[in-house]
Amino acid sequence: MGSLYRSEEMASCQLFLQAEAAYACVSELGELGLVQFRDLNPDVNAFQRKFVNEVRRCEEMERKLRFLEKEIRKDEIPMLDTGDNPDAPAPREMIDLEATFEKLENEMKEVNANAEALKRNYLDLTELKHILRKTQTFFDEAMSDQGMTEESIVLLGEEAVKTSGQPLRLGFVAGVILRERIPPFERMLWRACRGNVFLRQTEILTPLEDPVTGDRVHKSVFIIFFQGDQLKSRVKKICEGFRATLYPCPETQAERREMSLGVTTRIEDLNTILSQTQDHRHRVLVAAAKDIKVWFIKVRKIKAVYHTLNMLNLDVTQKCLISECWCPIRDLEKIQMALRRGTERSGGSVPSILNRMETKEQPPTYNCTNKFTKVFQDIVDSYGVAGYREVNPAPFTIVSFPFLFSLMFGDAGHGTLMLLAAIAMVVFEKRILRQKSDNEIWNMFFDGRYIILLMGAFSLYAGLMYNDIFSKSINIFGSVWHPTSGEFSAEIIKTHKDLTLDPTNDTDYRGVPYPFGMDPAWQLSLNKIKWLNSFKMKISIIFGVGQMFFGVVLSLQNHRFFKDSISIFCEFLPQVIFLTCIFGYLIVLILHKWIAIDATDAGCAPSLLIGLINMFLLNYPEEPCSSRVPPGQKGLQSFLLILIILCVPWLLVLKPYILKRRYQATQQKSSSRLGTSTEDGKSAEDAIDGAIQDDSHGQYEEELNLLEIVVHQCIHTIEYCLGCISHTASYLRLWALSLAHAELSEVLWNMVFRVALKVDGYLGVISIYILFTPWACLTIAILLLMEALSAFLHTLRLHWIEFQSKFYKGDGYLFDPFSFDKIIESRADEV
Amino acid sequence: MNSLNFNIDNGYLEGLVRGFKGGILKQTDYLNLIQCETLEDLKLHLQSTDYGNFLANEASPLQVSVIDDKLKEKLVIEFQHMRNQSVTPLATFLDYITYSYMIDNIVLLITGTLHQRAISELIPKCHPLGSFEQMEALHIASTPAELYNAVLVDTPLASYFIDCISEQDLDELNIEIIRNALYKAYLEDFYKFCQTLGDSTGAYMSDALAFEADRRAFIITINSFGTELPKDDRAKLYPRCGKLFPDGLAALARADDYEQVRAVAEYYSEYRVLFEESSNNPGEKTLEDKFFEYEVMLMKKAFLDQFHFGIFYAYVKLKEQESRNIIWIAECVAQRHRAKIDSYIPIF
Repeated sequence: MGSLYRSEEMASCQLFLQAEAAYACVSELGELGLVQFRDLNPDVNAFQRKFVNEVRRCEEMERKLRFLEKEIRKDEIPMLDTGDNPDAPAPREMIDLEATFEKLENEMKEVNANAEALKRNYLDLTELKHILRKTQTFFDEAMSDQGMTEESIVLLGEEAVKTSGQPLRLGFVAGVILRERIPPFERMLWRACRGNVFLRQTEILTPLEDPVTGDRVHKSVFIIFFQGDQLKSRVKKICEGFRATLYPCPETQAERREMSLGVTTRIEDLNTILSQTQDHRHRVLVAAAKDIKVWFIKVRKIKAVYHTLNMLNLDVTQKCLISECWCPIRDLEKIQMALRRGTERSGGSVPSILNRMETKEQPPTYNCTNKFTKVFQDIVDSYGVAGYREVNPAPFTIVSFPFLFSLMFGDAGHGTLMLLAAIAMVVFEKRILRQKSDNEIWNMFFDGRYIILLMGAFSLYAGLMYNDIFSKSINIFGSVWHPTSGEFSAEIIKTHKDLTLDPTNDTDYRGVPYPFGMDPAWQLSLNKIKWLNSFKMKISIIFGVGQMFFGVVLSLQNHRFFKDSISIFCEFLPQVIFLTCIFGYLIVLILHKWIAIDATDAGCAPSLLIGLINMFLLNYPEEPCSSRVPPGQKGLQSFLLILIILCVPWLLVLKPYILKRRYQATQQKSSSRLGTSTEDGKSAEDAIDGAIQDDSHGQYEEELNLLEIVVHQCIHTIEYCLGCISHTASYLRLWALSLAHAELSEVLWNMVFRVALKVDGYLGVISIYILFTPWACLTIAILLLMEALSAFLHTLRLHWIEFQSKFYKGDGYLFDPFSFDKIIESRADEV
Repeated sequence: MNSLNFNIDNGYLEGLVRGFKGGILKQTDYLNLIQCETLEDLKLHLQSTDYGNFLANEASPLQVSVIDDKLKEKLVIEFQHMRNQSVTPLATFLDYITYSYMIDNIVLLITGTLHQRAISELIPKCHPLGSFEQMEALHIASTPAELYNAVLVDTPLASYFIDCISEQDLDELNIEIIRNALYKAYLEDFYKFCQTLGDSTGAYMSDALAFEADRRAFIITINSFGTELPKDDRAKLYPRCGKLFPDGLAALARADDYEQVRAVAEYYSEYRVLFEESSNNPGEKTLEDKFFEYEVMLMKKAFLDQFHFGIFYAYVKLKEQESRNIIWIAECVAQRHRAKIDSYIPIF
């Protein structure tokens, strides 16, 4: 696994596959997942390729499978996911599969059609039943009203009796309509018939099932009374327009009762038939559900194979397919084996041939990762994929990422919680993986479980160093500050709120530092923040400059690997000198200040920032304690300054100049070679060799666009020089976020939980009980989730910009092998 | 409405419609489509465009009508989504767009019933954007007055219909007159509505609607030659919100043959070009196609500006044109009649 440092060596290969063995070979390669095929017919349309018919057949099969799946889902039958991974079936099996699917689909369709017809029948009958029942009440009411109407007729007088005296034959239609259509229906009836109809409607309380969609719909029964045939046809037309279903309804009560009985028995009959069809359907689907996942995988594999075959070239004789592909050199053996297996399986006599070939194209970047390193590699890749064989920052990121994170997230309590959560995810990894959650946010956390694990562990350590546990300190080794034994008596301590401890005084301060991390006494001191700020700022600078320096060193590794000696001398060297002279020197000053200056001469401690600025201004003011300044400092600083200033033109000018000279030299060489006939055979050969080498080295670069190189170098120089300064400042975010985190957690403790601790007695118990929950929730939501996210993002930035900009080009492209696993996985996501 | 507040209510939808617009087929897509040998090829290629798998669940063999239905369905889903998300001025605007489809549906249904077709046979042919509740009961009416009183009075088209009530009965000619009268009233009303919205909406929509009105005026005139439609009746059908109003319309009302129509168009630079370049010879674009091309050009222009409703109208129109193109190509492919397969109208 040393390969994580640089990407795998890749070879561009040519594959000659016998036409009959091609399918088997490609499917073997798909199982292996180590070969990236190049599309050799990019200009050919999708539907003009060779195996388009097979692809289409696969699509047809997929469609049938989707149909089956939908039906299975509808019946809520569990689909068995056995995790089986069948091989891609041979082409001849495709016909069997097609036949099976065809049969299943037809059967399903037939069953569905039958069920639909039956359901429709059932619906009709139930509607009729409702109509008979509801209209009965209408008629009953009408009967009971009879007496009333007669009375009113009498009241109206003789004429009214006369007109109504003739037998008034009212016709009626009864039917069922969707409930929401009632109001417009009623309005339309009124308008179209000019109010000459009488509509009664009542709701059917139980929702009915729509036979086509299977939805539950609410309907209403209506009955319309009218007079005359013209109105009848009109009413019927309106009913049709509103999709109301009309049912014949007998006029006399006896007939209605008889019909109602008939309907009930028919409904019962239908129910048994329906349940039988349902059973049949269920049986068919259960049988299909067992295999459907495997079928899906098979069909997808076939389709993937044909897609790949479509990318291959047919040779002139039509007997073999030619493909070009990338594959890792390490795995050539495996690929050969797979090809042999494929040829054997297809029974071909001529072996498939794998040929390595030379190419000028940049190979893809393939970093072999495992589940632990993958997340770190992903972090790097999301910024930019490393160029081929470029130094890969991922292995360093594994350590530096959680470390920088922990500097900002330094709290042992929060770190422990994070660590525990990550450990839980790692321990139950397999079980969680099996569940396949769809929750994107959860999956994001789960995918990052190893990075969370490391971040938790590092934060725990950093928290112990900061001596910060939920914003409290613990006193393990005994604080080295002890005011009681000194000049302050117990009485004074009790009466005074603030007391000053003198570090120069032996009784106040033991004289040796606290053995591990921060002294707990600082937690109580008034100048805690001042002291921590100064400390954390310096620490940030030291680690930051360290990381940047490391990045510059990695660029040396790149230059050496690519045999780019110009860059070593014209880029790496000035860069190192520049960085060391400014910030290396600053670190020396910091360390000097820490070591050489103690409490006795604290007043003379030099200011680092002012000192650095003065170094650039060549300004050395008389200081009160100038005796403390080391004697050679002025000379040293001037020397460093000259070096720094020299570095800039060095970085800016030298490389373009040398490139130009080289170019001119080769030009001259080739022109002289052309001009004079070669006298000395040997030297001419050398010249040719040299020319060829130059050509292979960088013919394209040497088609020298001087302007471009100069501009590029200019940008590079400015970026580096300004970058060093701004990036160093940028590393101060380590301090800033750490401060913010500590303060926030302290505020949360003081404002929420401490309130409970202040209360005495039983009430205190209750208040602790009540206030613990908000404190814990806020701790998790704000300090653990939000703060961690912000610290994570800042760390990401520090890596992507401050660290990687020193050496990482990231201009490669990912190796994207043809692999069944990947295809099936991505499809599973889509579904 | 000013652009400052536009995004509060309509920003999401404008973004959405611009995204949809990105899915409109490009010239290269068309070049690929016309190379198709069968409808299956067409389906395969459409899969690689924004249409994605919209035909994936259709059993082969594929019918052109299925493609047509699916195209419509896709547009309707997108449109309904926008309509459901929109608030008043935009919601009304989108409703206005659907009215033209309603008019077409009404006319289709009346013509159908006139020819004794069953209503259930006609309904699937209606454009789903223009369907309304009372639509299926249209066939109870036998006179325009009845049509108005019983059916249309509840629909938003009621106010447009008032002018047509006087027609005596529903025959072929009258239906055409009703259609055009409705359209005229609709266009004028829509025009007025867009003017009240003002700003760039007003500007872009007045361009679009003016063109629509003028196109109708030209087409009505040309189609009326050889029918018994009297000239003054014809003049009543011209929508009066176009650039032709009032002089051009007056001249059109007097026109007796195609040459005279052409002479009218001479006075308007944008229409003159269309008439000049069109001809009925095979291999050249017809006047209708030229009008479509001009419309596409107008609609594309609407996307150049921000903060106005014109793009919603433009999107629907462009999508409609795209459907026409795809159907044209599909028909050519299906009927193996490749000679005229290029006469689609490219959009981007």
